[in-house]
Amino acid sequence: MPSSTRTVFSLIIINKAGGLIYQREYQAGLRSLSTNDYLVLAGTFHGYDPPHNQCPLDISTSLDGIPIANEYLRHSVHAITRSITPKLPLAQTSPALTSPSGNAPVGFSYPNPGVPASGLEHLETEKFRLTCFQTLTGTKFLLFTDPMTGNVDTIMNKIYELYADYVMKNPFYQLEMPVRCEAFDRHLGAWLRGRT
Amino acid sequence: MSSSKASRIGEEIWKTRIDKVNAELVTLTYGTIVAQLCQDYDSDYQEVNKQLDKMGYNIGMRLIEDFLAKSGVGRCANFRETADMIAKVGFKIFLNVAPTVTNWTSDNNQFSLIFDDNPLADFVELPDDGRAQDELWFSNILCGVLRGALEMVQMQIEAHFVSDVLRGDDTTEMRVSLVRYIEDEMPPEEE
Amino acid sequence: MSYYFTILSPTDTPIFNIAFGTSKGGGDGIARFRFPDTAQYMNQFIIHSSLDIVEEAQWTNGGMYLKHIDTYPPAAAYISAFLTPSGARFLLLHQPPQLPNSGSSGGLGSSSLLGSSGNLVARGSTSSIAANPTSPQTEEAVRQFMTEVYESYVKTAMSPFYKQGMEIRSPVFRTRVTAAGKKWL
Repeated sequence: MPSSTRTVFSLIIINKAGGLIYQREYQAGLRSLSTNDYLVLAGTFHGYDPPHNQCPLDISTSLDGIPIANEYLRHSVHAITRSITPKLPLAQTSPALTSPSGNAPVGFSYPNPGVPASGLEHLETEKFRLTCFQTLTGTKFLLFTDPMTGNVDTIMNKIYELYADYVMKNPFYQLEMPVRCEAFDRHLGAWLRGRT
Repeated sequence: MSSSKASRIGEEIWKTRIDKVNAELVTLTYGTIVAQLCQDYDSDYQEVNKQLDKMGYNIGMRLIEDFLAKSGVGRCANFRETADMIAKVGFKIFLNVAPTVTNWTSDNNQFSLIFDDNPLADFVELPDDGRAQDELWFSNILCGVLRGALEMVQMQIEAHFVSDVLRGDDTTEMRVSLVRYIEDEMPPEEE
Repeated sequence: MSYYFTILSPTDTPIFNIAFGTSKGGGDGIARFRFPDTAQYMNQFIIHSSLDIVEEAQWTNGGMYLKHIDTYPPAAAYISAFLTPSGARFLLLHQPPQLPNSGSSGGLGSSSLLGSSGNLVARGSTSSIAANPTSPQTEEAVRQFMTEVYESYVKTAMSPFYKQGMEIRSPVFRTRVTAAGKKWL
C-alpha cells in the first residue's frame, strides 16, 4: 500500500467547454459519485453550464432533486473566484511587457489579450486538497490529493505532460471528446503508483 | 520575456526534454506525404497546399499542449512575444531550427519568419512539370501547425509562405498575421 | 582525357548521362572523343557492352568500387564501374587523348578529331591521371569521383518526387556531378 501521506486520490479533466472528459480514482474506498454527479461537479467548477442537448445531465434533479438554477451554474466556483480577483493597476505591469511600438500607453499591442485572473487554484479541507490547474488552452485538471501531499505542482506538470503525450498525440483521440486512451491510463497509473 | 531568454528556454528544452529521432526519417516521411498528395490530387497544387495546411492545423491543435507541458511558459503579453516564442522555443524544440523573426508591420500584428534551414525540405527537388515551382508550397504544413496551435491559445492568425528556396528564391519566408484574439472563447472574465 | 559517365538503374535503364573532359593539368573540361560528333552513340555502345563484365566482376570484389574493369582497345576506351548496394551501376568511360604507352602513335594522332593533338599530348604529360587510365592514381581519382557522385545520387534519390528507376533530370545533380568531375578528374 502506498503511504497515505503522499496519496493522489483522484483526477478529473474538464475540457474547455466545461465537459467532463476524464475521471479516475487512484485509491480504493473513496466514496464514488455517479457519473451525473461528476458531470455536475465538472460543470459547477467550470464557468459554463453544459449544453443540455449534448449532456446526459438532468440539471433540475441531479442533486437529490434539489433544483439548481442555471445561473448558479454560470456563476460557477471557478468563475466566481475569478471575478472576485482584485484588479491590479496597469502601472504594475512590468516594463518588459511594454509594446515595442511605444504608441500604446498600456503595455500591450492591440487587441489586449490581458492576463486573465486564474480563479480557484486550491481548495483544502481536513481530509483532502483539491488542486485546479488550467492550461492556456482552457483544459482544466482537477486533482484530489491528501492534504499532506507535497509537490502537487510537480505531479500536475507530469500529468499534463502525460496528457500531452498519450492523449493529445494519439491521432485517434478526437479533441474535446472523453478520453479513452488506454496508454494514458496505463502510464499515468504506473507513474502515480511508482512515485509513492 | 526577451528574445534571448526564449532562445535559452528553447535550447534547454531541446537538450534535455526532447526525444530525438533520425532526421532523414522525418524528412522522408513528410516528403512521401507531400508527393502522395500531389499524386492523389493529380498535381492540383492549390489543393495540395490546402490539404497540407489542414493536416498542420490538426497537428497544431494537439502539439500546443505538448509545447505548453514541456516548456512551462506562461501566456505571452503581446504578439511580439508570441513571435519569439514560436521561433525560438516552438520551432527549436520540434524541428531544431530557430527562424529569424523580422519584417514587423508598425501595428505589431504581422511578422515574417525566415528559415535558414528547413529539415522538412532536405533533399527535396520540386517536380519539374513547370507548375510546382510556382504553385506548390512544399512546407505548407507549418502554416497550418501555427494556425492550429495559436487558435488553441486564443489567437486567430493567418499564415502563408511568401518565398521558398525550393522554388529558387533566396530565402524561405513565412508571413504570419494576427487576425484577432478570440475573446469570446476565453473563460468568462465577469458575469 | 575525355569522360563519358552513365548511371544505369537496377533494371538496366540508363537514367543519367554526361560527357565531360579533364580539368586536371590545365584541361578545359570539354570532352574531345575520338569519334566524330555524329558518332557519340559509340560511347554508349562501348559502355553498355561492358555490362556483362560488370556482372562478373561484382562477385569477385567485395567493395562497391570495381575499379577498371574493361577496355575497348580500338577506341582506347577504359571502363571503370561502381555498384550501389541497391543495384544501380555507375559506369565511367575514359578515353585518353592517345594510347597511353605509345605517345608517338601516328595512327591515332591522324584522326580528324585530334587536330590539336599536340596540345593534348602536352596536357597528358603534365598529369598522370590523364596520361594513364590504369595507374593507381587514376583508380584513386575515379574512386573519389564515384564516391562523391554516389553521395549526390543518394540525396537525389531521397527527393520525394523522384521515383526509383526514373530518369534523373535534376539540374542540381548534374551540377554536382560536373563539380565532382572537375574536382577529381
